[in-house]
Amino acid sequence: MFLTRSEYDRGVSTFSPEGRLFQVEYSLEAIKLGSTAIGICTSEGVILAVEKRVNSSLLESSSIEKIVEIDSHIGCAMSGLTADARSMIDHARVASLNHDLYYDENISVETLTQSVCDLALRFGEGVDGEERLMSRPFGVALLIAGIDENGPQLYHAEPSGTFYKYDAKAIGSGSEGAQAELNNEYHKSLTLKDAELLVLKILKQVMEEKLDSNNAQLASVTKEHGFQIYDDKKTTEIVEVLKAQEAEQEDEEITA
Amino acid sequence: MVAQPVQKVFPLTLKITNLPSSNSSRPWRIPVRIDCYLSHIKMAGLSFDNFQRNQYIASKGVAMPKATSTGTTIVGCKFNGGVVIAADTRATAGPIVADKNCEKLHKLSPKIWCAGAGTAADTEMVTQLIGSNLELHSLYTNREPRVIASLTLLKQHLFKYQGHIGAYLIVAGVDPTGAHLFSIHAHGSTDVGPYQTLGSGSLAAMSVMETQWKENMTKEECIKLCADAIEAGIWNDLGSGSNVDVCVMEVGKDAQLLRNYITPNIREQKAKSYKFKKGTTAILRESIYNLVDVEETEIPVPMEVDA
Amino acid sequence: MSNTIASEYGHTDTSVPIEHRFNPYSDNGGTILGIAGEDFAVLAGDTRHTSGYSINSRFQPKIMDLGDDLVMSANGFSADGDALIRSFQQQLTWYHFNNQNKKLRPSSAARLIQHLLYGHRFFPYYVHTIIAGLDEEGKGAIYSFDPVGSYEREQCRAGGAAASLIMPFLDNQVNFKNQYDPATGQARLKTYLKLDEVLNLVRDAFTSATERHIEVGDCLQIKIITKEGVREEFYPLKRD
Repeated sequence: MFLTRSEYDRGVSTFSPEGRLFQVEYSLEAIKLGSTAIGICTSEGVILAVEKRVNSSLLESSSIEKIVEIDSHIGCAMSGLTADARSMIDHARVASLNHDLYYDENISVETLTQSVCDLALRFGEGVDGEERLMSRPFGVALLIAGIDENGPQLYHAEPSGTFYKYDAKAIGSGSEGAQAELNNEYHKSLTLKDAELLVLKILKQVMEEKLDSNNAQLASVTKEHGFQIYDDKKTTEIVEVLKAQEAEQEDEEITA
Repeated sequence: MVAQPVQKVFPLTLKITNLPSSNSSRPWRIPVRIDCYLSHIKMAGLSFDNFQRNQYIASKGVAMPKATSTGTTIVGCKFNGGVVIAADTRATAGPIVADKNCEKLHKLSPKIWCAGAGTAADTEMVTQLIGSNLELHSLYTNREPRVIASLTLLKQHLFKYQGHIGAYLIVAGVDPTGAHLFSIHAHGSTDVGPYQTLGSGSLAAMSVMETQWKENMTKEECIKLCADAIEAGIWNDLGSGSNVDVCVMEVGKDAQLLRNYITPNIREQKAKSYKFKKGTTAILRESIYNLVDVEETEIPVPMEVDA
Repeated sequence: MSNTIASEYGHTDTSVPIEHRFNPYSDNGGTILGIAGEDFAVLAGDTRHTSGYSINSRFQPKIMDLGDDLVMSANGFSADGDALIRSFQQQLTWYHFNNQNKKLRPSSAARLIQHLLYGHRFFPYYVHTIIAGLDEEGKGAIYSFDPVGSYEREQCRAGGAAASLIMPFLDNQVNFKNQYDPATGQARLKTYLKLDEVLNLVRDAFTSATERHIEVGDCLQIKIITKEGVREEFYPLKRD
């Protein structure tokens, strides 16, 4: 990719003469190696879905944690070096708890996302004796889903420290195909049920293995129930509905 | 020696006569228990019997009651042929206004008056005591009391008590030697001068005195000056407030007390009425005790003798 | 008893040096009062600023408009009160920066003030703090604080020098304490007072406090919070 390799990609906080920070750009590449994670925001709530790569039949799939709770009204899905996400999640949980402590209210999704992104650039030399926290940029991206007085929201936070708000977003190895599909399928009047099916349908398309409750995980954030990770039973049910729907479509195609 | 309380129970029988509806001659027997300190009766002057006890209690951390110290503005000023004193009418207990229209101008004798600042009880008592002694002295000597005599009695009394009697006074009056004006501090020191101010508002009042006073004032000018000085205290000193009392003592005339000479602080009408409906205060419980047995007997009407 | 020696009469032991300590606090008097209505809240205070028996100012308003339809007053030691309000305003600015200019709710403001006060737990701001605003439902909200941050939402609260004079009056007139319905004999039912009734109560509370407390007087400042925003009224008080 970078044909003209130079010395500028060694220091984490050294610009190249073209004005690039190679280490940060490389960190974005690390995410493209990660498992696919998708988020869809509807008026009823936000849906998060991740692919779990169960590499071995001896691996306990429940130990793969790629969707986590930040607070009762915010959750997030990750892709990339998921170990890096630990410190980001910790930071996010502290930020959310502190906001509740200081203001007696839920932190807004944007404020929470901003506070996570504040961490992202702490690999450089600190200013005013500020502690240098990390040796390199994060190798993970987050899809932060939450609900506040502005309704359900979905944010994408990158290792570069930038974040954007999305109606629907895919990250990880299958993100290109998934994002294209999201662009086609997304519309504003999507229900939460529609989104559950759509997210699994797209995940299925970009996954190499056969989709089931073992290698996919779903979560939602709604006004009524806050952040919830779907259990295997519920995931299986949605997978079944998806299968039935697809079988129906195939039938239609055959008859047509 | 600490005075020991002497406790005695006196068997007392009070006979009550003149009871209108009682024609019984049986005396009413009421047991009365009297606890009294007999030892201090022997001693003259103020009683210090509780001094050691109170110090002991105070050392145990119990707060002593505070005497009402009246933040006050009092002034006095001489004029051609007389002298005027004036005072505000606010009495305070800490930051609370205890009396909005109290009298701080005390009569020592018909033509010698005294304005008091400091501890309210002290100014009243010392003024009454010296007033009495002054009258006795005038009876003994068969002469009108003199201002200088009252000044001496007051300062000697106050000095004796080493400042523990917290009376700060402006003494003024007319006597056969003319009009006089003095001030006395609680420790017994005295001052003479054509104008005097005392109390927490003395600085405010003195500022008026120092700028407005002039020699050979008329009575009216002098009253105005004193009232203005008191008003300065009323507005600018938190310890002083409400109204202005004035007393004018003119040579050859009766002293004139102008109570509430100026009333610049009349309370405005309240915005709301606070009349409660009858029955708003609930009777939560009622109990009636029979303290006496009432016996009703019918008395037969006596036969008419006449006719 | 042994003979009395002259030194026994002395009551000052001069061998112990007298320690003079700087007292960092003072009391600037004044009183504040907040009452919450159904769709409004008022926060009132006199404008007299005192030290001891002196009046420093006859017009030093102490009810502050914080923006976000919130008003606040910290009565007691005015330097601490000013410092507290300033640091709250700074925190509010930061809140707006960090939270997309979101309007701070009274409940959030109350929690924030609790932290500002408790942050000085061992060298407290010497103030009685009251804030007023409208809650999420548009109902009047009054929050009151002790000097180290304990707080409570209330229907009404008086603070400062004449608080002990005004509070029983409020208990009776706002919450109808000790009032019974003559017809039923039951405790008088709580009802919301109308704005003009509340303003009359506030004025009477302050004219009465002025009569009996030397540190209250000069001018009455009332801030009224409704859904239309914050409005201010002034009334003269006795100046003696």
